[in-house]
Amino acid sequence: MDGKVVVVTSGKGGVGKTTVTSSLGAALALQGKRVAVVDMDIGLRNLDVIMGLENRIVFNVVDVVQGRCKLKQAMIKDRRINNLYLIPASQSDEKNVIQPENMKWLCNRLKKEFDFTLLDCPAGIEQGFKNSIEAADEAIVVCMPEISSVRDADRVIGLLYSRSITPKLVVNRIIPKMVEKGDMLSHKDVVEVLSIDLIGLVEMDESVVVSSNTGLPIVMQKESKAGRAFMQIAMRMNGHPDLPVEDPMAPKSFWKKLGGKISRKNKVH
Amino acid sequence: MPDHNNLPVKLKGVGDSLWVTVDDSLPVDELKNALHKPFERLKQLAVNARIILDSGNNPVDGKLIEELGGYLKEQFHVGVVTGPPQKPKPEVRNKRTEELGSAWHSHQSEALIIAGRVRSGQKLQADKHLIIMGDLNPGAEAIAGGDIIVLGSLMGTAIAGQPDNEGAIIMALDFRPTQVQIGGLAAAGSAGFGGSGKTPEFAMIENNKIVVMDYAAANPFKRFAWPEVR
Repeated sequence: MDGKVVVVTSGKGGVGKTTVTSSLGAALALQGKRVAVVDMDIGLRNLDVIMGLENRIVFNVVDVVQGRCKLKQAMIKDRRINNLYLIPASQSDEKNVIQPENMKWLCNRLKKEFDFTLLDCPAGIEQGFKNSIEAADEAIVVCMPEISSVRDADRVIGLLYSRSITPKLVVNRIIPKMVEKGDMLSHKDVVEVLSIDLIGLVEMDESVVVSSNTGLPIVMQKESKAGRAFMQIAMRMNGHPDLPVEDPMAPKSFWKKLGGKISRKNKVH
Repeated sequence: MPDHNNLPVKLKGVGDSLWVTVDDSLPVDELKNALHKPFERLKQLAVNARIILDSGNNPVDGKLIEELGGYLKEQFHVGVVTGPPQKPKPEVRNKRTEELGSAWHSHQSEALIIAGRVRSGQKLQADKHLIIMGDLNPGAEAIAGGDIIVLGSLMGTAIAGQPDNEGAIIMALDFRPTQVQIGGLAAAGSAGFGGSGKTPEFAMIENNKIVVMDYAAANPFKRFAWPEVR
């Protein structure tokens, strides 16, 4: 059976598309699936850096679609996780060197080999976005709880619907303290406006920055809240759609609070 | 015994008013004289009384009302002087009867009714009225020749009465638009998240300005005597 092609998009830049793509790729692979992640940001590639694979790039996605190499030659196997492969973007070409029909061809080939193909879509709604959504079966829209991000996500959701793709929503970088004080939109406000299925809520987590710099996948850091959230999103994509979404704003249970206090005390002494 | 039917002036109490029937074939001065006697008898009762002047002709000559009204106000300090309430013209009456019967059944609606969510970057355009059963998100635009009614949250831009219908309104159950325009006027809103928590509101033009009011409290169409096609 063919695998799924999932585009990770947002409209606005800097909301965490690349982090979401790499984390979900790693999480799905850790859950035993064969996963390819494709960097669609031709000219501004990042996914390789986040995954710590930039020094192993020989060929890229443009080389594949232009026939300069075989698909296998452009696929870089992850250092730590089996079944996870990266197809990097070209840093020197322009976005329009790839056309939607090239992407259809590429994704049809990837579908045969992988359970999940994740496309890291560039910001904006121009050629790179059009290429990315052309071959996608599903979409994940990443949105931060801020007005401009919601506005752009809404635009992208409209465009995805016009292509008959029903997207799912990840609200990224939630800071519960700010939401509590009313300085940040809550995920409920975001969902109310965007009105699509929520697949995950990811808290702001400093370990994501560390992970991006070291190339160690966030989902492999057991203590990371964001890592746990990404593992759960991957489970929802991977046959457990009804797994409840944890609300970062929900009051923690007594035992969890107590556990937290003890572990903090231990750290101090 | 005087013949009451031929008196130049007759007085009758109707509700809280005094109904004065005058014979308008007589000169104004003669009518003033004829009015003098009964009003003098009324004395204090005439002060601030509401007077309806009727000549039997419909409508009563405006000049006659002005002249006799002025006289009564000056001499006897009466209140408002008006002609008798206008009865709808026969053609209006006929039209209303027809509307009650069947004419509205065959009326072709000029309203565009849309159900669903209008998202950022999407634009809805209607020649006349536009009704959205759903939400208009920030960044979305609704443009209409007539009214815009949003049965949901209005958060985007609503442009009604295009190009020059200043009588158009913009109404929403949850009214917090980015901007509204009616005719050639524009007003900035304050887009915010979370429900406004208010009752339905609407925007209309008043004194060359866009004003926003509580719909239920203002009930702008309650003064219409008859349901009209908008």
